[in-house]
Amino acid sequence: MTPLDPNPANSSSSTPQPSAISETAVVYGRVPGNTGIWVGIFCVLVEFLMLFTAYFIARVHNPEAFLNGPDKLVTLAGTVITLFLLSSGYCMVKAVDSIRNDQAKTSVRWISLSIILGFGYPLVKYFELNWYIENGVNAETGVFYAAYYYLTLNHLVHVTWGLMGLFFVAYRTATGAYTSQSYSGLEAAALYWHTTDILWIVLFSFFYILR
Amino acid sequence: MIGNTEKIWLSLIGLTLLGAVLGETGNTGWPLTLTVVVLIFIKGSIVIDYYMEMRFANQRMRNVLRLFITIVPILVILSFAWGEEIRQLTTLN
Repeated sequence: MTPLDPNPANSSSSTPQPSAISETAVVYGRVPGNTGIWVGIFCVLVEFLMLFTAYFIARVHNPEAFLNGPDKLVTLAGTVITLFLLSSGYCMVKAVDSIRNDQAKTSVRWISLSIILGFGYPLVKYFELNWYIENGVNAETGVFYAAYYYLTLNHLVHVTWGLMGLFFVAYRTATGAYTSQSYSGLEAAALYWHTTDILWIVLFSFFYILR
Repeated sequence: MIGNTEKIWLSLIGLTLLGAVLGETGNTGWPLTLTVVVLIFIKGSIVIDYYMEMRFANQRMRNVLRLFITIVPILVILSFAWGEEIRQLTTLN
C-alpha cells in the first residue's frame, strides 16, 4: 500500500504508520475524528463559501470601498489573532499526539494551553472592535466594514463553539475518558478547531491584506 | 532539536508574517493578489495535511477540504480579472 492509497480497505487498524508531522501513529486512509464532526465541518465550509460569495459580489459592486477598506483596519490585530489561532492549533496537534502515547496529563496541559491561546482571539478582537467604534468605524461606515463585521463576528461565533469543545475534551481527557486506543472525541474537537484556522486564514487575507 | 510539528508551526507563522508585511505595504494589483492567493492555498494546505493529518487519511475527505481552499483563490482571481462582468451578471435590474 502506498502512503496515498485512498482505499480504507487497504489500511490496517492494527498496524499504525508513522505520521509525517509527528512521531504519532496514523492509519492510512482512515477518517480522523468521527462522522458527526465531519458533517459539522462540511456544513461550516458550505456556510462560509456562501458568505465568501456574498463578499465577492459586494467587492465587484464596490471596488473602491474594498480597495481602501483595509486602510482603517488594524493589520497588527489581525496578525496577532492569526498567530494565536495557529499556535493554539499547534497545541491541539501536540494534545492528540500525547494521548496517542497514553500521556493523558500531558495532553490536558496541551489542551489547556490551546484554550488559553484560543482566548487570545476574542480578547484581541474585543480591543480591536473597541478601537474601531471609538474611531467611528462601524458596520454603517461602508459596505466593506459591513462585510468585515458580519463575516468576522460569524467566525468568532464558530470559534466560541470550538473553545467550548476544547473545554469539554479537556475535562474528558482529565477524567480518563480517552486512551491511545480510543480518542476520537478529542481528535474531533481538534479537527473542528483546525477548521476555524482555515477559515481565519481566508478572512485575514480578505480583510487585512487583499486590496 | 526542532521536530516536524514545530517546523510546520514555524512555517505557518512565517507565512502569516509575510502576509502581514504585504498588507502593510499598501500595494495593489496583480502581484499582491497572486501572492495572497498563493498564501491562502499554501497555508490552507499545510493546516489540512499536517494539523488535521489528512495527508494520509481518507483522500475523498481530504479532496473536499482542498477543494475549499482551491475555490476561494479562484474566486479571488475571478473577481479581480472579471470584476465588471461579474458585476453585470449579479445586477438585478
